[in-house]
Amino acid sequence: MTVKQDIRFRVYVAFTCICLLGLAIILKVAYIQVNEGPELRKLAKSMHTRTTLLPAERGNIYTEQGALLCSTIPQFDVHIDFSVIKPDTFNKHVDALAAGMAMLFKDKSADKYKAMLTDGFKKQSRYYLLKKNLPYYDYQALRSLPIFNKGKRRGGFIEDPKIKRINPYGMLAYRTIGLWRENSQTVGMERTYDSVLRGDDGTRIERKETGGVWMPIEGSEVEPQNGQDLVTTLDIGVQEVAEHAMKSVLEQYECAYGTCIVMEVQTGKIRALVNLGRQQDGTYWEDLNYAMMPTEPGSTFKLMTLFALLKDKYVTVDSKVNCQGGIAHFGNLTVKDSHLGLKLLSIKDAFAQSSNVAMATLGYKHYQSNPKKYLNHLHTLHLDGKTGVDLTGERPPRVKKPGQSDWSATTMPWMAYGYEIQITPLHTCMVYNAVANNGKLMRPYLISEVREYGKTIKKFEPKALEESIGDTATIRQLQECMKEVALTGTAKHIRSPFYSIAGKTGTAQVADKGIKYSDGVYQGSFVGYFPADKPKYTIAVVIRTKPRSGAYYGGTIAAPVFRMIADKVFAASKGWTGPLDSIAQKSDKQIVANYAPAASYDVLLRKMGGKAPETTNNYVIKVATDSNKKTIVQQAKIYAGMVPDVSGLGLKDAVYLLEKQGMKVVVRGRGKVYTQSVPAGTKINKGQNIVLQLS
Amino acid sequence: MNKLLNRTKGDKVIWGVVLVLSFISLLAVYSSTGTLAFNKSKDSSYYLMKHLMVLALGLLIIYGVHKVNYTKFVRIAIVLYLLSLPLLIYTLFFGATLNEGSRWIKLPVINVTFQTSDLAKLALFMFLARILSMKQNVIKDFKKGFIPVLLPVLVTCALIAPANLSTALMLGFTCCILFFIGRVQVKHILLLAFAGIIGVTGLFLISKATGFGRAATWEQRIKDFAGSDEGKDGKKKEDVFQVQQAKIAIANGGLTGRGPGQSLQRNFLPHPYSDFIYSIIVEEYGLVGGALVVILYLLFLWRSIQIFRRCPYAFGAFLAVGLSITLVFQAMLNMAVNVHLVPVTGLTLPLVSMGGSSIWFTSIAIGVVLSVSKYVDENEGKKKINEETKMKTPKPALA
Repeated sequence: MTVKQDIRFRVYVAFTCICLLGLAIILKVAYIQVNEGPELRKLAKSMHTRTTLLPAERGNIYTEQGALLCSTIPQFDVHIDFSVIKPDTFNKHVDALAAGMAMLFKDKSADKYKAMLTDGFKKQSRYYLLKKNLPYYDYQALRSLPIFNKGKRRGGFIEDPKIKRINPYGMLAYRTIGLWRENSQTVGMERTYDSVLRGDDGTRIERKETGGVWMPIEGSEVEPQNGQDLVTTLDIGVQEVAEHAMKSVLEQYECAYGTCIVMEVQTGKIRALVNLGRQQDGTYWEDLNYAMMPTEPGSTFKLMTLFALLKDKYVTVDSKVNCQGGIAHFGNLTVKDSHLGLKLLSIKDAFAQSSNVAMATLGYKHYQSNPKKYLNHLHTLHLDGKTGVDLTGERPPRVKKPGQSDWSATTMPWMAYGYEIQITPLHTCMVYNAVANNGKLMRPYLISEVREYGKTIKKFEPKALEESIGDTATIRQLQECMKEVALTGTAKHIRSPFYSIAGKTGTAQVADKGIKYSDGVYQGSFVGYFPADKPKYTIAVVIRTKPRSGAYYGGTIAAPVFRMIADKVFAASKGWTGPLDSIAQKSDKQIVANYAPAASYDVLLRKMGGKAPETTNNYVIKVATDSNKKTIVQQAKIYAGMVPDVSGLGLKDAVYLLEKQGMKVVVRGRGKVYTQSVPAGTKINKGQNIVLQLS
Repeated sequence: MNKLLNRTKGDKVIWGVVLVLSFISLLAVYSSTGTLAFNKSKDSSYYLMKHLMVLALGLLIIYGVHKVNYTKFVRIAIVLYLLSLPLLIYTLFFGATLNEGSRWIKLPVINVTFQTSDLAKLALFMFLARILSMKQNVIKDFKKGFIPVLLPVLVTCALIAPANLSTALMLGFTCCILFFIGRVQVKHILLLAFAGIIGVTGLFLISKATGFGRAATWEQRIKDFAGSDEGKDGKKKEDVFQVQQAKIAIANGGLTGRGPGQSLQRNFLPHPYSDFIYSIIVEEYGLVGGALVVILYLLFLWRSIQIFRRCPYAFGAFLAVGLSITLVFQAMLNMAVNVHLVPVTGLTLPLVSMGGSSIWFTSIAIGVVLSVSKYVDENEGKKKINEETKMKTPKPALA
C-alpha cells in the first residue's frame, strides 16, 4: 500500500465513523419522538399552558339600612428586585424616588427612604420588601414614581396583589360578622354563610408566549361567579349604642366580659349583638361569642320556673309564698337570698325582689316528685336544644335530667332559681322575647336577605318556633311580674319616666372553666323588654365580673346597660316623644318651649291639636308663639348636649360641630354627609362614636 | 451577478451546502431569538438583521479566502499559530467571563469580542496540516515523527483546558482524528489518549481540591448525563433542564415539524439560538429537517474528501480534509448533545448557531478548503489544457 493509499483508506475510515455518528443522531431523534414522545409532549403541554384561577369576588355584608359592614378590598405587597435596575438609572433617580415616597407615605423622611433604597441596591436584593398591605391608590401612585415606572423588568417593581376583608365600622359587631382570612380559620357570619359569600372561582387557560408572557386562550374562560351579598338584621345604630353602653360599664367595673343581645320582639331579628371581652392590656374587644356560650343563668331563670308553675296552675302570681327570712334548707344545703329579711309575700313580689328561697321552695314543692313535668316546660321553651340561630359556634345548653348521675336530690330546687342548668344568654333572651311577644316564641336570626348584584334572591322570614308557649293568663301574669321588677323590685332604679320596662335581674355566682364559686366571680344580668305595654325590643345583658368585684348585682351592673340601650333605641325610633312636658309647657297664652327633635314636636303639636311644623324630621327645633299667637318654628343649629343634625353639611363643618360636643367622629365614604348614626336631637354621651356616611 | 459567479471558484456543491445552511440558520435564528429580543427590548427582527449581516460578512470572508492561493497558507499557518499562543494566555488571565470560563477577549479598535479558542483551533489545524505533510517520511517514528506533531497540540490544549475543558478535549480528540489520517501509529494515538485521560483526571482533581476552575461543572455534567440524581448545585438543574427541554422540542417536531416559526420550546430552552438550535430546527422542521442538516454536513465532508483525493500535494490534501473533518465533527458533536447522545458541552453548530466570530472563523476554514478546491480545479484544468494542447497542436512542419 502506498502512502497515498494508506491515507485515503484512513480518511474513509474516519468518514465512515462520522457517517455512523450522523446516523446515530437521526436514529436518536426518531427514538425520542417515538418512544419518549407522548410523555414529553404531555410535559410540554403542562409547561406551555397553565390554568389560572379567576378568583370570585367575596360578597359584602350589609345592614338592612344599607350600611356596609364588611367588604373586600384589594391590597398590594410590593417587593423590589434591585438586581434589574441599572446603576446609572438608580443613581440618577433615587433622590426623586425617595422624595416621592416620602411625599406619598409621609411616614419617613426622603433621606431615610434614600438610605433604605441605597441599602437594598447595594445588596442587590432580588426580593426586597418595600411596602406591605398598600391600598390600591397608594399602590398606583407608588408604581408611577421614577425607576418603578419602568415596570418589573427594568424597574424591579414586583407586586403581589391580595384581597383583604375590611370592616368599615371597626369593632362594631366584629365577632358576629366574623373573620375571613385566606388559609385560616373563619368565624362568625363569614363562616356560617361562607358558601353564599364565597362564590365560585372561574378558570382560564393561558399559553406562554414570547418573552415569558402568559396569554389567555380565547374561549377557555369559565367566568367566576361572584359571591352573594348578605343583609344582616343588625342595626348599626343600635349596635353602636349597645357596644358603647356595654363598654362603659365593663370599663368602669373592670369586668371579665359582657354580652348583650338586642332582639326585635315581633320577628326575633337580632338588632345588635355585643361580645366584649377584656384583653391583656385592659381594653375590650369583640373576641368571643359569649352570647352563645352556656352558663348558669341565675335569677333570670326564675321566669322559666314561674312559667311552669303558672302554666300548671299550681299558683297564681297573687298566691302567697313564705320567703322564710331569706334562708331555707334542702337536705344539708342552704338556699340564701342575696338580700335577707323577706317574709310572707305574694309570688309577684317575691319575683320582683328576686327571692331565691321562694322559687326554690315552690320548685321543690311542686316538681321534686315529678321533675319531668318541669323539664317538659323547659322543652316547650326550647331550652334543651340549640336556639338554631344562624351563626356558627353556638354551643348546646346543658340541662340535667333525673336518672342521670349528676341529678341529685337538690337539683330541682336549685334549678328552680337558675343553677344546675346551663343555657346561653341567647336562650334567655329568646324566652323573654316570647313573653314579650305574647307567647309566640321566635327563632333568633341574623341574616334577613341574600342579595346578588343588589337584587334580593332569598329572604329569610321570621320563624316561630312555638306559636304559643302558654295560655294568655300565664303570659299576662309573667308580664305583670316583670313589670313589677322595674317598678318596685330589684331594677326599680332603672325605671324610666318616659317608657315602661319589664324584665328581671339576675346575679349568679360563677363556677366555670377554672373558676370556683368561692372565687367570687359573679354573672350579673338583666333581661327584659320595653316598652312594657307594647314591646318592641327584648334586650339581654349578661356581664361577668372580675373576681371579688365590688359591684356584681345584675341590678347594678347589667340593668344600667339595658337602660342606656333602651334610652337610645327608643329615642331613635320614630314617634317616640319622651315626656312631652319636658319639651314644652303651655303657659297662659304661649308655649314655653325647649329645643327638641322635630319628630318629638310632631307628636307634641298633634296632641295639642295644632299642625305639625314642616321641617325635616332630623332637625332640632324650638317652637314658640309669636306676637300674633301663631306658632313659629325656630331651627337650632347647635344645641348643647344634643346631637346636631349634620346631614348635607361638608365633612369639615360636620366634624367641627360634633367634636365640639365631645363626640368621636368616624367617617365613611367621600363627599357630603348623607346620614349620621346617632340621630339629631339625641342626648350626647361624651366620647360617644358617631358614624357619618358621606356620599 | 454572472461576473461574480464566474469569479467564484471552488467546489460548487460546497458553496451550495454553505448557502443552504446559512438559509436554515437565518430561519432558525429568527424564530428562536424572539424571547431574547423581547427581553432586551429590541425589535423582533433585530437579531435577524444582525445575523444576516454576520452571515453576509461570513460569505465575503469565504469568497476572499478562497481567492488566496492555498500554498500561501503554509506561512500564514505558522504565523497564526504563533500568534494564537500569547492570545490564549492573555485570554486565560484577562478574558471576559461568560458562564464561569474565561473564553472571550475583546479586540481593541474594532471592538469585537471573539472566542480565542476558535482562532487557536483554526491555527492549530492549519499548522498540523503543514507538519503532518512535512513529516510523512518519519511519521511512524516516535521521536522524529510523533513528538513534533504532538507538541503544538499539547500546548494549545493545555492553554485552553483550564477555562474550557470541553473545548480542549474536543480539540484533542479532533487532532487525534487528524493524526490517524496523517498516518500516525495507532499505538501512539492510544498512548496519547491514555495520557490525556490521566491529564484530565489530574486537572479535575486539582481543580476540585483547590476550588479553582470549573471542576464542579464538569462533574455535574457527567453525572447528569449518567442520570444521577445527586448533586446540590443549581448547575445540575440547569443542564437537566436544558436536556429535558431539548428533548421536548424534538418530541414536538414529529416527522415534518411544527412549521417555520412555530416552535414552542424556544420560550423554554436557554439559548435556543446557539447551543440548542438543532433541537429548535427539529421542532420546526421535524425528523426530515433534522436529517437534512446531518446530510448537508456529511455532503460537505464528502466533497472535501474528493478535493483531498484530487490534490496532488500533501499539504493541500491535509488542509482540505483536516479543516472539513474538524468542522463536521464539531457539528456532529453539537447535534449529538442536542439529542442527548453525549453530555452537554458548550459547542455551537458551525454556520448555523447565532454568533459573530465563530461563524467567521468557520468561514475562514471553509474558504481555505475552497481555496484548495480551486487550486485542484485549476491544476486539473491546466493538465487537461496541456494534454489538449499537446494533442491538438499540429506538429511543426519540418523545415
